[in-house]
Amino acid sequence: MLKSLRAGLDLLYDFSGIMAALSLIAILFLIVVQMLARWTGEVFPGAPDYAGYAMAAASFLAFASALNKGAHIRVSIVLNMLPRRARWVMEVWCFGIGTAIMWYFVFYAQKFVYWSWKFKDISQGQDKTPLWIPQSLMLIGAVILAIALTDSLLSLLFKGRHRIVREGDESYSE
Amino acid sequence: MENVSIIILFLFVLFTLLGSGVWVGLALMGVAWFGMEMFTTRPVGDVMLTTIWTSSSSWTLTALPLFIWMGEVLFRTRLSEDMFRGLSPWMARLPGGLVHTNIAGCTVFAAVSGSSAATLTTVGKMSIPELRKRNYPEKMIIGTLAGAATLGLMIPPSLTLIVYGVTINESITKLFFAGILPGIVLAAMFMAYVAIYSKVAKDWNPTPEPRMSFAEKVKNSRFLIPVISLILVVIGSMYLGYATATEAAAFGVIGSMLLAGFQRSLTWSTFTQALMGATRTSAMIALILAGASFLSLSMGFTGLPRGLADMISQWELSRFELLMVLLVFYIILGMFLDGISSVVLTMAVVEPMIRDAGIDLIWFGIFIVVVIEMAQITPPIGFNLFVLQGMTDHEMGFIAKAAIPMFLIMVLMVFVLILFPDLATYLPNNMRTINSS
Repeated sequence: MLKSLRAGLDLLYDFSGIMAALSLIAILFLIVVQMLARWTGEVFPGAPDYAGYAMAAASFLAFASALNKGAHIRVSIVLNMLPRRARWVMEVWCFGIGTAIMWYFVFYAQKFVYWSWKFKDISQGQDKTPLWIPQSLMLIGAVILAIALTDSLLSLLFKGRHRIVREGDESYSE
Repeated sequence: MENVSIIILFLFVLFTLLGSGVWVGLALMGVAWFGMEMFTTRPVGDVMLTTIWTSSSSWTLTALPLFIWMGEVLFRTRLSEDMFRGLSPWMARLPGGLVHTNIAGCTVFAAVSGSSAATLTTVGKMSIPELRKRNYPEKMIIGTLAGAATLGLMIPPSLTLIVYGVTINESITKLFFAGILPGIVLAAMFMAYVAIYSKVAKDWNPTPEPRMSFAEKVKNSRFLIPVISLILVVIGSMYLGYATATEAAAFGVIGSMLLAGFQRSLTWSTFTQALMGATRTSAMIALILAGASFLSLSMGFTGLPRGLADMISQWELSRFELLMVLLVFYIILGMFLDGISSVVLTMAVVEPMIRDAGIDLIWFGIFIVVVIEMAQITPPIGFNLFVLQGMTDHEMGFIAKAAIPMFLIMVLMVFVLILFPDLATYLPNNMRTINSS
């Protein structure tokens, strides 16, 4: 039971990462099509808006897999100085705070999406997209990040270590 | 600033969350939430969602993942071998010899990548072993690499400048062009230092290079031509107003993939690695930006930015003095925070000050980038130092010491920039702006 839950969660993180990558490809595609349209004198109404939605999806859907691969930046100078026991306490605090913030975000995000859907909110741009559609991708990403944080917090509490594995040459951030 | 004690509490929460190691983006959200709860009666959660949704789904932001993607693709090509082989024949006769390939290589790679760590790894992978083989002083190899790699932050495309532009709503294209001349000047200053060092120092005793004819030199650098053309297309299309920053980034992604394809280094595995790497790095920055957008809203309610700006204006600092204060402030901040986080964290507070002092915000972007570059090579958490440590197995102290001259050159660069502001503002004021959309 626990094993299949574990496998399911790992699959979820990988899957959301792949969806994020596809959103990134979608951004590229939208921008290229828009450029081609401009050069040939056509218009592609709403392309910037669609690219913006894809941007939000690419970011939010990748949050969890970025967390698990240790890509998110944190100030680790104090953490690294602490002895093992204190470090564990500090990690619990970090994951605890992170988990709390994300579930808080998720709670309001579902409200936000629900009201967009209920009031049939339409984008102000030329795309006229019902906003709940792209917004729910943000919600899904936020939920998965909240799950990933909870997952790590529980693992930290019961097994003594979190689930973040830093990859060797993964830090081209700056 | 009537609520001084609450503001102090607010700052305390900020530093506690950041310092204890909560992920920067989430920490910013937490502090922003705290600030809103203390200073307003608004429904905080709903405001948070509206703000974060608006900033995360912004069209200007799309330049960010695309430029990261382009760098990731090129990082996985044969570029680092080509770079050394192509550049070294031209540098061999200069005073300072092949150490210049470090600087020139970083400058070229900085023009396809917005990141200084990627620049460092790409150039260093090849040049460190080759320069060691030729008996160049280790201190110079390491030092110049650490310093010149920071050009990745300044020469377009620059991730830091995209983040800065998005944060304060300035044109990213303009910021990019503002970075070009200062970047070149800084590179030239590094090179001048190398040249002088090679004439003065006693430990300078490299193996001389065999002479090459002009034709041979050209033959050796033929592999660099595709990269240089890619740079020209990406930067040129922006300058001439054919493309926005995002569109130029799209050219860059496609161009880099074609280039990798011709080199036969574009396999399914490098493609997915580059794509997934880009997705993660851009998500990392997006989380910080999401937190920062909420924080800057919240900061507005606390009255902290206005209060500080008023306080600073009461001190009646001259423009120069204000810049010196900010210089010291950012150097200290940079010791603990990465560049992108320091920009987004402080801009809400610093922007009103800068505007009040009548300082050009485009120019200030370049100023801030030079200062952040310095932070990249100063301990305790200079990012380039870590990367170099991983690549060379030297101790942190050795690397930091080797980088000190570069640090001083960057300090000099700050003053050059203050003395000749046109360096940063000339190109952006003279480029063609895009007509449609």
